[in-house]
Amino acid sequence: MAHNLDTDVDTLELCLREGIAGNEYADPRETLGCAPDTDDAEVARALVRIVAAHDLAQLGMQSVHPEAARHPSVRPPTEVTADPSFLGRLSTTGDEGLSVERIEDVQTLLAVLRAGSRRQRRAALGRLGERLADRRLLHSDDVRKAIQVISRLRDVELGYELAQLRVELPGTPGRAARQEREQWKRLAQRTEVEIRAFWDGQSSVDAIRALPGDQRALLLVRVSELSDLVVHHITAIIEGSDGCVRLESRIGLITSLRYARDPRLVPALVAVLEAERGELVASAARVLGGMDDARAQPALAERFERSFVAEERIALAGALGMHGDLRGLGEVRSSLEEDQPKLLLQALEAMENLGSPESTDLVTKFLDHSDASIAIQAARTCARIGDGRALDELTDGYNATAVPALRAAIEDALSAIAARMELRGEEAATIDWSEVGNKPAPRKGPRDSLPAISLGWRDYFMGRLWLLLGRVTWAIARFESAATRRDDWAVPLIGIGMAFTRREQYALALPAFRRAIEVDRLRIERNPILVRAMAKAFLHRAEQVEREGRDDVARGLVGEVLTLDLRRAPGTVRFELKRKHDVLRRGEQGDVHSAA
Amino acid sequence: MDIEVEGRVEMVTLSLRDGELQCVSSDARNDGPHVHAALQFVAGMETREDSSPPGAVVSTAPQSVEQSAASELADALDDLLTAITRIGVGKAQHAPSVDAALERLIGAAPKPTPSGLGRFIGRLQQAMRSAELRRVVRLLEGASQLADALRAGTPSPQAELRIAEWLGTRPGTRPEVELLYDRTMIEVAREWLPGTERASLERRYLVDAQSGVVYREDRLRNATASLGPCPRQLQVGLAEVEAGPGPRRIRVLQYEVEPHVPAESWDCLRQVASQSFAEVTESYRATLRASPSLAEPFALVAPFRVERNGVFKAFDAEGHQLMLDRSERRGAVLAFYDLLAQGMEPSWLAGRLTDAGTTVCLTPFAIGTFDGKYTRL
Repeated sequence: MAHNLDTDVDTLELCLREGIAGNEYADPRETLGCAPDTDDAEVARALVRIVAAHDLAQLGMQSVHPEAARHPSVRPPTEVTADPSFLGRLSTTGDEGLSVERIEDVQTLLAVLRAGSRRQRRAALGRLGERLADRRLLHSDDVRKAIQVISRLRDVELGYELAQLRVELPGTPGRAARQEREQWKRLAQRTEVEIRAFWDGQSSVDAIRALPGDQRALLLVRVSELSDLVVHHITAIIEGSDGCVRLESRIGLITSLRYARDPRLVPALVAVLEAERGELVASAARVLGGMDDARAQPALAERFERSFVAEERIALAGALGMHGDLRGLGEVRSSLEEDQPKLLLQALEAMENLGSPESTDLVTKFLDHSDASIAIQAARTCARIGDGRALDELTDGYNATAVPALRAAIEDALSAIAARMELRGEEAATIDWSEVGNKPAPRKGPRDSLPAISLGWRDYFMGRLWLLLGRVTWAIARFESAATRRDDWAVPLIGIGMAFTRREQYALALPAFRRAIEVDRLRIERNPILVRAMAKAFLHRAEQVEREGRDDVARGLVGEVLTLDLRRAPGTVRFELKRKHDVLRRGEQGDVHSAA
Repeated sequence: MDIEVEGRVEMVTLSLRDGELQCVSSDARNDGPHVHAALQFVAGMETREDSSPPGAVVSTAPQSVEQSAASELADALDDLLTAITRIGVGKAQHAPSVDAALERLIGAAPKPTPSGLGRFIGRLQQAMRSAELRRVVRLLEGASQLADALRAGTPSPQAELRIAEWLGTRPGTRPEVELLYDRTMIEVAREWLPGTERASLERRYLVDAQSGVVYREDRLRNATASLGPCPRQLQVGLAEVEAGPGPRRIRVLQYEVEPHVPAESWDCLRQVASQSFAEVTESYRATLRASPSLAEPFALVAPFRVERNGVFKAFDAEGHQLMLDRSERRGAVLAFYDLLAQGMEPSWLAGRLTDAGTTVCLTPFAIGTFDGKYTRL
């Protein structure tokens, strides 16, 4: 019997799709020319052979199949749409509708810079940069205020954008930024040479791993400007194809890239999401969350759907939240409601990107948490949610706490909420700082006598002189003498701390800084040079003891310095301290999973 | 368990799901005579004729251990083919009989599961999940060819080669490898692929800068391979290339890594890329015919002309068109469109060849531009 091959193949394909057992449409035996009692196995083989042969023969015969010509139209949303207010609808791209790129008013841009999401803040900074480039506006009050805000802004998340913009600023901030840029260039060149030596087989040490934490943070803050060679080396470490870096170091490097936006890193990070698990996945997800790249959201969503590790899922949910995808909100809320200690910090962090005013109560209850880092993160999350109802709880928290870092975080949160209320058109909350917080404790005891003061200064200046002459031991003795002559005098103690820090004797610098903090904490916290030296001393000492395998001591040091108000310390140092704190904290909880 | 009723043997799978006992036989029925017989047996109402544990029907003919293992594997492949065909490709993903057949196949395979067979299982599961009839059929056709090769008493060289592609070289046979010396190769892309487990194989795509031939370097999880990032340039002192499905597998034995690929090398790559899409299509068809299950062709193409108004279209000098496959690597496709929207002019594209509705398509992995820039997608 003659068959129409196309009709037959259609029938056979239907049989294959629907199954030959119990198929009420057609029996392939007849079409295949088999006897009615032919065994299923034999029928199956014949069926597959014919359909496969026909399929391969058809390949490339048609010009363009309509299915193949369709454009990928399902693009994930990139903006948070849950909030219908001005800020909620404010787009970061495009010159139509509500977009940061269309805002002309500097005051509004500054408010977005305080209250917006990370993307909005970046866009606002970019827009401010455009406005500042217009030389005609340089002498207007608004622009002068903008320059002041940009030079004082300590937003770690915007480290790269701030560094770029400050280079263009006039005066001291611009000079400092240009100096830092030169320092970065030298560091990048040195690192490039060392990386070349590594791949040439002349060195077995990974150049990036060998860098001190603050240097590494400084290098990676401008990762977009690094050469292909350095970025490819970084991707080799991320993917584990460099042949020497351990799992912990891979995690360390990925966490150092937390706020990087370089699209050259995306394929390696996506590969980590696809192939690894545990902390590696969580770290990669946090980086991808901040990337404005079309590859990030599909990879995060795919991994979220098949992940069953709570730590991964929380990090993935937060990262998806940054892309406007709120599928993980329920799970993050549950973690906070159930008060799971191991996940609290991460869940609060994820809530920064997922939370809405509905979540305010859930978050504010952690403001008085016994663990300062959790309370600080709760304050940060409140700042990002920006609900005015949190003002009272934040003010109470500010008055109740003695932890300077928490007070600093609450100050920032109050300022962000006020800015958000202003942008929403609500009555802006005016915070009377004189009514908030602890008043300075009245000086106790009698004032120092005049001879004590003059002898103290004499010893101090002698100490400075010995330092200039390089006689450190004599100098320290003079500083100590000065400190004992007067109570509550931090200057000579700071001198000791600075002297040891400059000589990289961090273990000796710490006691002096600790005594100085005890005597006059505000003097250190409010002086950018002192706070930088003190923070670096703690950081480098923590790195030293960590290298000796004393992780507990390192954790204690980082935790101690993070309780201080470090807002005036360089962003790279603060970032590295926070990163190290998170890594050591997870190490304590035993969360660093094998990447097998 | 295997149940024989009226001379017909069917495999019956019993499973407990959501507190309910589910029974299905390999003829896709849940109330057939085989299911009833299995339930009676489980309930203790029927005794087995022998005391041996339930399992596959065992051939009684005396065989050597090796022949027996090969025959068992061939039977397992046939069982899998039959199970999928009975239940239908549309329902195969959730069919207990198909799960059981896959388990039996893995059980019958040498340990650890050879990468060829592992990759077949990974691809089959992926194709069943998306209910892609054509891909499932090709994979099953390849499995059927392997079963024939395994059953052959004295396998032909072609059958021997097929077995080696799937299971590696058998003891006593010499591996068919080509040695390469002093080549410059450029890794243009890499990806993680599923095998018997998710992400069990890392594949790197290396292109010979002189000939344009694409090789694959496969690395099982926790195994080692050549070091370096993607992209990279390798000065290969010595490498072995296995005979097998395209792209052929390479083992780089002596090499030097250059993590920064110079612009001249990218220019070389553009010059050796395929410029005729008709040839690409023909080569794709030939590769799939030779190895319908294991071939995963990867191509480097240099379009003559590109259209970017809404939909990407690449044309060769003769007007043949190459489409993008949007069903895989959605993020990469979206990023590719973003790059085009930003004005990127691709001078060459690297990607896996696939087909949608008989049209050969390319899933993008990397793009090169005329100014020597490279983007990994």
